Amino acid sequence: MSAQVTLRFHRHLYLGEQVDAAVKALGNFGEFVLREEPTHWVVEVTCATETRARRVARELGNHALGRTIQARRAEAEGASA
Amino acid sequence: MTQPLPPIPEDVLTGDLAEGAARLRVATAIYPLDAVYAAAFAFLDRCWLVIDQVEDHYLVTLAPKPNEGEAPDEETLAAMAGEFANELLAAAWRQRLTTSNRATIELVTQTAFMGAAGPPSLDELEEFDFSEEPFEDPLGIAESWEERYGKKAKKDAAPEGESE
Repeated sequence: MSAQVTLRFHRHLYLGEQVDAAVKALGNFGEFVLREEPTHWVVEVTCATETRARRVARELGNHALGRTIQARRAEAEGASA
Repeated sequence: MTQPLPPIPEDVLTGDLAEGAARLRVATAIYPLDAVYAAAFAFLDRCWLVIDQVEDHYLVTLAPKPNEGEAPDEETLAAMAGEFANELLAAAWRQRLTTSNRATIELVTQTAFMGAAGPPSLDELEEFDFSEEPFEDPLGIAESWEERYGKKAKKDAAPEGESE
């Protein structure tokens, strides 16, 4: 029996490639299905237990957010230089 | 099930104790996205964060990372959300200051780089116009003490010595 958690990342706030990179980084900890909606990147996380699925989903959220912030900062610094 | 987390008003902050998370509504008109990013980045080590946008608000969901397996209570959630709100306000203010002082910062940086370029070459010195007065000084403020009083006093003193 497995548990699934769905994460929705707003496309205006999260960079798609950084969400992909976060999924790759956590690829060993569960199964991930990615799909696109008009306003959101959607990631379905499937793990053996609900606790684990929730934990992996939360770590994925932090990873995607952190990577997006760093990428946007680098982009802004490159533009101003 | 969501519930208010006093003392922050319910239309700004709600909590879900079952999920162990607080949700903060942030007006996009007041707080720029970069400030939300800056505050969120500072909390990544302590919280799990997700940011969403609904019309003219950002929705920031914070779930404190459990301390030794304990689920966060109402007070912990309110304190964490309040701390985040303070960080957000500080980040927005810092960004505003940076924007308004950008010209000054660029000027200071440029001057520092020019100084770091080292002394001028002989060719540059040859082309430099030394005849130009550095600035006007009608009140004689830039004169040294010796220029103003010292030499004059010696001249005045000499004839007196001769007479003795």
